[in-house]
Amino acid sequence: MKKLFSQTIAAVIICSLLLLNSGCQKKLIEKPYTVFTTAYLKTAAGLQSGTVSLYSGMRYIYGPNGGLNTTNSGTDEWSLGDQGASSGLDCGAYNLNSSNGDILTPWNRSFNNINLANGIISFAPDVIMDATAKTRIVAEAHFFRAFYYFLLVQQFGAVPLDLGSGDMAFNQLPFQGFNRLVPDLLKKDYQLIIDDFTYATQNLPTQRPANGGFYAYKSAAYHLLAKAYLFRGYSSVKQATDFKSSWDASKYVIDNQTALGTALLTDYGDIHKEGNDYNAEILYSVERIQADPFDNEVNDVANEFSGKANMSCNWFNSNYQNNVTINGAFPCDRVLQYMRPLRQLCPNPWLYDSAFADKINDSRYNNSFRTVWLATNNNAAASGVSIGDTAYFLAPNKAYGDSLRALGTKKYVIIDPTQFYLVSRPAIQLYPALKKYDDTKRAGINDASGRPYVVAKLSEVYLEAAEAAILDGRPGDALPLILTLRNRAAYRPGLSAAVLAQRQAVMTNKNSGTPNVPVLTPFTAADMTVDFIMTERSRELCGESLRWTDLACRGLLVEYVKNRNRNLVAAPKVQAFHMLRPIPQSQLDKSIITNPASYQNPGY
Amino acid sequence: MKKMNLEKNRMIFYSVPKRRERSFPGRLLILLLCIMSPSLLLAQQKTITGRVINEAGAPVPASVIIKGTTAGTNADANGNFSIQAAVGAKVVISAAEYVAQEFTVGKGNVINATLVRLDKALSEVVVIGYGTQRKKDVTGAVVSVGEKALREVPVANLQSALQGRAAGLEVQKVGTRPGAGAVIRIRGERTINGSNDPLIILDGIPYEGGNINDINPDEVASVDILKDASATAIYGSRGSNGVILITTKKGKAGEAKLSYNGYVGSVSVRTKYSVFNAQEYVAMRDLANNASAPYMPEELTARAKGQSTNWQDLMYKNGYVTDQNLSVSGGSAGGSTYSLGGGYYKETTVLPGQDYSRYSLRATIDTRVGKKFRMGLNTMNTLSFTYGSQFNNPMFPIITLSPLMQPYDSLGNLVLSPTGNTTDRVSQYNPLFLKSNNGQWVDKVRRLRTFNSLYAEYQIIPGLKYRLNVGLDYRLQENDQFRSSDKALAPSYFRPKQGNTASVNNSEGYGYTLENILTYDKTIGKHKFTVTGLYSYQEDHTHNSSISKDSIDEDFIQFYNLGQANASNNVKPIVSGSEVSYALESYMARLNYGFNDKYLLTLTERIDGSSRLAPGNKYKNYPAASFGWNISNEEFMEQFKYLDNLKIRVGVGQTSNQSVNPYASLGLVSPYNYQYSNPSAPGGTIRYNYGPTTIVTGYNLVTLPNPNLDWEYTKTINVGLDFSFLKSRITGAIEWYKSNTNKILYGLALPPTSGVNGSFTTNIGEMENKGLEFTLSTVNVKLNNGFTWSTDLNLFANRNKLLKLDNGFKNDIANQLFIGQPLSAIYDYNKIGVWQISEAAEAAKYGNQPGDIKLEDVNGDGKIDPNNDRKILGSGQAKIQGGLTNRFAYKNFDFSFVMYARFGGLLVSQVHQPFAAYTNLTDGVRSAIKTNYWTPTNPSNDFPIANFTSRARPITTDWTTLGYYDASFIKVRSINLGYTLSSKYVSRMKIQSFRAYVAVQNPFVLYSPYMRNVGGVDPEATGTGNQGVQNPGNLSSRALTINLNTPPTLSVNVGFNVTF
Repeated sequence: MKKLFSQTIAAVIICSLLLLNSGCQKKLIEKPYTVFTTAYLKTAAGLQSGTVSLYSGMRYIYGPNGGLNTTNSGTDEWSLGDQGASSGLDCGAYNLNSSNGDILTPWNRSFNNINLANGIISFAPDVIMDATAKTRIVAEAHFFRAFYYFLLVQQFGAVPLDLGSGDMAFNQLPFQGFNRLVPDLLKKDYQLIIDDFTYATQNLPTQRPANGGFYAYKSAAYHLLAKAYLFRGYSSVKQATDFKSSWDASKYVIDNQTALGTALLTDYGDIHKEGNDYNAEILYSVERIQADPFDNEVNDVANEFSGKANMSCNWFNSNYQNNVTINGAFPCDRVLQYMRPLRQLCPNPWLYDSAFADKINDSRYNNSFRTVWLATNNNAAASGVSIGDTAYFLAPNKAYGDSLRALGTKKYVIIDPTQFYLVSRPAIQLYPALKKYDDTKRAGINDASGRPYVVAKLSEVYLEAAEAAILDGRPGDALPLILTLRNRAAYRPGLSAAVLAQRQAVMTNKNSGTPNVPVLTPFTAADMTVDFIMTERSRELCGESLRWTDLACRGLLVEYVKNRNRNLVAAPKVQAFHMLRPIPQSQLDKSIITNPASYQNPGY
Repeated sequence: MKKMNLEKNRMIFYSVPKRRERSFPGRLLILLLCIMSPSLLLAQQKTITGRVINEAGAPVPASVIIKGTTAGTNADANGNFSIQAAVGAKVVISAAEYVAQEFTVGKGNVINATLVRLDKALSEVVVIGYGTQRKKDVTGAVVSVGEKALREVPVANLQSALQGRAAGLEVQKVGTRPGAGAVIRIRGERTINGSNDPLIILDGIPYEGGNINDINPDEVASVDILKDASATAIYGSRGSNGVILITTKKGKAGEAKLSYNGYVGSVSVRTKYSVFNAQEYVAMRDLANNASAPYMPEELTARAKGQSTNWQDLMYKNGYVTDQNLSVSGGSAGGSTYSLGGGYYKETTVLPGQDYSRYSLRATIDTRVGKKFRMGLNTMNTLSFTYGSQFNNPMFPIITLSPLMQPYDSLGNLVLSPTGNTTDRVSQYNPLFLKSNNGQWVDKVRRLRTFNSLYAEYQIIPGLKYRLNVGLDYRLQENDQFRSSDKALAPSYFRPKQGNTASVNNSEGYGYTLENILTYDKTIGKHKFTVTGLYSYQEDHTHNSSISKDSIDEDFIQFYNLGQANASNNVKPIVSGSEVSYALESYMARLNYGFNDKYLLTLTERIDGSSRLAPGNKYKNYPAASFGWNISNEEFMEQFKYLDNLKIRVGVGQTSNQSVNPYASLGLVSPYNYQYSNPSAPGGTIRYNYGPTTIVTGYNLVTLPNPNLDWEYTKTINVGLDFSFLKSRITGAIEWYKSNTNKILYGLALPPTSGVNGSFTTNIGEMENKGLEFTLSTVNVKLNNGFTWSTDLNLFANRNKLLKLDNGFKNDIANQLFIGQPLSAIYDYNKIGVWQISEAAEAAKYGNQPGDIKLEDVNGDGKIDPNNDRKILGSGQAKIQGGLTNRFAYKNFDFSFVMYARFGGLLVSQVHQPFAAYTNLTDGVRSAIKTNYWTPTNPSNDFPIANFTSRARPITTDWTTLGYYDASFIKVRSINLGYTLSSKYVSRMKIQSFRAYVAVQNPFVLYSPYMRNVGGVDPEATGTGNQGVQNPGNLSSRALTINLNTPPTLSVNVGFNVTF
């Protein structure tokens, strides 16, 4: 009996061991529920979700601090505000080295989306799904691959097409090399950019619906194609037909506005107006939702300047809060309608004195800048400035300021352009504050913006076409395009027809008098020069994350910063090699390469 | 007899050791055999009387049994006994915690025994994993911490009890909040990316999902620590960080005993932060002369009146701690025993809203069915509540609020926002609001853990046994948070100018372990064999779901229904979840061979198959061998009478580290933005909108698949020498070890141009740990009047070094890895002082002015740049560390104190790195911790001038250099005074024993350069990795760092133990 018992026990043990063993082998296979492998990208849902990431990745570039600094700072338009000045080592001061943080934004945020686009383009043919939807996804992937590459090339010059698995191939290898030392790489880059944008112009949906969201549509692809041709035309790898091709692409947009669903607005002030973010003049914006940090992918909306936070509303602000007193009192609190005073980017005198010399007939100055702050508290009530009264006024010029002061009746502070903040003139931290990005629907006054960030608008296509015409030897073709924009710029709501006509006349003619007492002669084709276009671009597009690459890719950076601009921080330091950004040190440190210096752009 | 629990007794049946003096297991074996075998009737009985006392002279209520019979009695509370015995019979006297003694009945009628404490005895039994072994037979590096040492200091958790107790075991606490955890390292670190935490085995079952706080230290009988590979190889793929074996208390045969063990104590701030008073603050602020931060009108008033507010004094309060444990244990002579117990622990701290409480219940039953079958159950259940661990603690305002601001207005109401600048008034309220909580915030973590093990054991033939262990583990944790909306009459400290918010995070984990163990014991002459075979399977699953939501309809709803809330687009709930499962299948075989008690050999082989590795790569081998030589058992050693024991041990083995996370080999396409560590954070998910209403989620490639992913393998060689002299008055051990870890797992950061954002987990490189450990226990003084003084000392040093990286890097600065350096190396600029006025010209060459930080120009090229002027400044590695326990006993009094020390190494004080904690910006905006900053009249070399604007160099990087200090310290961990009630009172009160004690925990720090030189509050880390606002960029997640945290506390506890 005993023996039987122990034998039974032994048999049970052996059997259970065997059973367990075969069962366990299966249990050692991982079956995760929440983790997707790369196979997901080979499904219809995966392609769709990957495309969303391509759109969303643009939020890194448009809005956060790195994007704003690399595209605006250190130009003829923008210099460092008083808070920006204390960081010392940045794009604005050309103290730039390979450890700079701002340049990481375009570098670190682009290649993974390029790789994802490579994957979508290569996997799509084998994915079974609705043909129209697939065509659109593939066109979007081409559009964004070109777009990310184009932004990289504008900042860094030649960048790798081979991420580890061959040119334009989806990379799944842990590749630690750096394929930058490839012959004719910049030429190949531009060819890919132009091919991809061309593909996008042919396959993206044609018409952007009125007030519809900013999917990629043909108009944006044509615009970026025109710009790619234009910049290649300026580059060392230019082709003889580039300016003509650029003209063709932009002219297509100008001539087919109805079909493409775009139009110039009557009032320049409406283009960037809060609440009018989906207007017909905008070809493409990087979207966000107001007061919704969750869907805007911002973790800490009051403290996060990088990542995907749109800091544009706060970044160009001046110090209305605690710098200039009225008899010892600060009349303005930090309030929602005036944005957070982060004072990183401040306009150069060239912008407010020269480009916007005429602030009366050209509505774009007042539509771009905040120059009046009303008191938000009664701290200065004893001095006669109570809530709602004007507290600070930035005069359009010194004479205007002097005449106001001479009246002796104004209780508010009058600051004229000779007093605006400069690094060399730090006492007053007030200057015209860019208001294109105002967002008054944020939940907290320190919060980032939830407004879409305008990337491309129709007026820029006019300017591009005009420039291409000039460079293609047909300045006469540029003239009507420029006059269209300048005529529109005269419009302000509420003006009488007579006044409007008078202002339009000033704007569409050369004025050798003053804004108030104009002496007009007609613009001619001879007036259509790249210099003129560049200044017109500042009036139309200042602060729209275009200027630095506009200058660098045209080879104008050093000349404009040193001569035209009076940017006192950048001018003494900027050199020719600065027209390319340094390759980030972290890229070189993480790459297994011999002679890292040979991968670096010259001068760094 | 707590060391002699049943699990160990089990061993006795298959291991019949050749007994030497005081061979406790042997005695017990016989004892048990006696109990089971039929009584033998012997003639010539006579009455023997006697008294049992311990070394301190106190009576011991021991059990007195005639060997080979069931006859026996217990000594009474005075230690007196009387028993009938025949001449020639052997009387065994034993008691819990003491070594049993045996006497032969001779002519006399009196037997007086002085029992020796068990943990001093060489015949101690240690747990070695899948079994037990006599300590003298052990061939691996094993260190034990007995119950007495664990009980010595009343502690909140087990890790505190172990600190400074065992050589090679480094316990660094992290955090000062109640319920905070600790970092435990056995012989340093072996992995860069994986966990360096040791494997914890509780009563034989892996204790996964580890929160050691779940274990009530009062329930623990002993802790054995396996350190070298020859000892840990039986745990194979989980052994390389060492193994901590925890054995809980079991019942023992005898009448039911009721024990109470408890204390209450008061907790107060031991060291306050040193901050500026009003006068010093004014001096700093005037010097900083920050135009954008003028004095507030209230400050000017206070300044005129000479007022100064000490925010620390206003905020700190005294906390309390209480620990109450009640247990019943006993057993029948037939071999069935039981133990039941319950405990309650609660600790509050010096800041409002922070406390930790733990309720625990446990039961063990061991029973015998027939002669060959035994089974038992052990269940441990813990419910704990932690309050105040999730929110930002209020230390920042406490330290940086202006001492010129008044906390109360003229009506006695709290000033809403007593900041010294306008900027902070937007977002920072008076921290004194925290002292009254009318449902305005909830910060609660509730955790339930039930850990159960069940065994059945069957003796198939003599010496051959089969045992089935089943472990069942269930964990449930709910984290709740609520912060009320800000209202005019009820300001919300955590939500200034905002609405309410709440979150609930539920996580559940469960797992089971099945172990089939066959053991065969055989002794053939002088050859003794024990063979152990194992097949085990383990599975574990965790799953969590979390929701956070704001705009809840009413504050009183708190987190209880997140659906009662505004559901508009802007305030959508944030929902997330995760799942992790893994399985491990193992085979193990072990041979223990001993020849004549002189030569000992252990051979081990384990095979682990893990779900974490890719198919085709799952099964791995772990061999180990060790050899011991009991030199003192050799005949030629008999002349050395003073020598009790001398043994040499040599072991080699290979282990690995289960440091590949589940799913790591698969590759990952994820909807999360990779830059956020917490994907459930707002904004953590990739989203996009097309127009204001169409919102979609995106997926992107995060990590690459790696089918070749492998473990990290650690090969260790260990040489140890155990010694005991002068009848065990001097015992100890010396160990030397060297371990090489290859195939180090590493999350390779790929260059961005690879097109992959996340890191690539792969095997790369090799590192080394080597060290010396020294343990010494001595009875220094032992007088006839009962006075004894004994000392336990342990000293150890570990040297960690990265040997190579396979990817060709020498210095991986981005990951703080430097070949030839410890993993905790710190690489940064070297601050050599502050530029003085006399050096103005020299300073100008570097773009500096007097008062700026002076950095070493390492390459002497006249400029400071990151590529040439940063260097290794040191590392977090201690040169030597150790613990010292001194015990004194005289009559009924016992007194002890425990010290713990580390020498060498650098600590990182983020409190002193201006942009890390923002607590010493000295920019004239906020107050700060008090530092010896430079002024034209105070040519300090410690801290730069109080002003930080308009500098030429990027001070944000230079300023990290202000945070490195000598990490050495000597701490007194506890001072304890106890009184054991003498036997006559005890017996009068009808109880078995009574001891009362007073203990002071963490009373003071004897030595710490960090505290002395810059006024740090404590030299031990408050966490790992960057804890500051901005990561200085040179801190790996491995670094132990000190950040602004609840200040260290001392507690005075009064308690008593009573057994009925």
